[in-house]
Amino acid sequence: MKQLGAEPFSSAAAGSPMPPMAPRRGGAQTNPERWVDEHGDCLFRYALVRVRRREVAEDLVQDTLLAAIRSREKFAGQSSERSWLTGILKHKISDHFRKLGREMSFTDLDSLADEFSEKFVPEGYWVHVKGPKEWKPDPDEVLHRAEFWQTMRHCLDKLPERIANVFMLREMDEVESKEICSMLSISESNLWVMLHRARMALRECLEINWFNREK
Amino acid sequence: MEPKVEDSNPRPPDDTSAIQPNGWLGRMLVWIISGATPKCRDVVRILSEQMDHELPLLMRFRLRLHFSVCCWCERYMKQLHYIRETARRFPEHADEAGDPVLSPEARFRLKHVLNRQ
Repeated sequence: MKQLGAEPFSSAAAGSPMPPMAPRRGGAQTNPERWVDEHGDCLFRYALVRVRRREVAEDLVQDTLLAAIRSREKFAGQSSERSWLTGILKHKISDHFRKLGREMSFTDLDSLADEFSEKFVPEGYWVHVKGPKEWKPDPDEVLHRAEFWQTMRHCLDKLPERIANVFMLREMDEVESKEICSMLSISESNLWVMLHRARMALRECLEINWFNREK
Repeated sequence: MEPKVEDSNPRPPDDTSAIQPNGWLGRMLVWIISGATPKCRDVVRILSEQMDHELPLLMRFRLRLHFSVCCWCERYMKQLHYIRETARRFPEHADEAGDPVLSPEARFRLKHVLNRQ
């Protein structure tokens, strides 16, 4: 019985056409057309949240998939195919902003400057009744996950563009703050101001539209 | 001696701060700790900075002390971490975040370009 059970394994290793680096998808081939069908929308929507312009987002997806074709031998299947492709896209997005950072200023200290003054009393404490509420985890989290990601996207879309850019580089692409400063030619203290405003606004938006929403 | 700001800024029922301004001792403690630690408006800025670089030990201690009288700043800190964790998962879930999707033309063009490789 043991012999029989082991058979498919040994025959696959010996003579199957499956490439050795193929992803963990039941032996399916790495097929760029399938990437478009299975991951195209995900890559596109992520790119669109980042760059906010359809044609730029489409170009980034194309660059990502072309880079994936060139480097598919290196994909060892340790992560999922999606996170591998998303990782490539993140690099392409960084390159995109690095290029833009040489052409335009990314510093934005005007947006959201006084947006939250009504949250604090003149002495600097929270207006207690308007302070952060406890965020209770959603008991049906799995059921409502898509709704949560929609809320997140809606809140990200509402952030002023340059503030959103630095926030997502930091929190989604996990780029270190020093690296962001050199990429976009902004000072570290200005970056902190912008990140602070992004976090404050996003927190507020998630609280109102997700954690405090009418269920 | 007692802080006037407490009277004009009532605490809602969900206030879970460890030290409450109840009685003479409570009010004094809240007043002393509030005076010895940064104001909330500065705390939230410092908490955001903490997400990007490590703070000096003394500042970390002052923040802890501040949390003992201010559950709102403590919640704020936890929520910044929550936002970080979820934001990192967003890219791989972007297709669950609703419209728009790749247009049929863009999809066709992509496949065409990829097939030429």
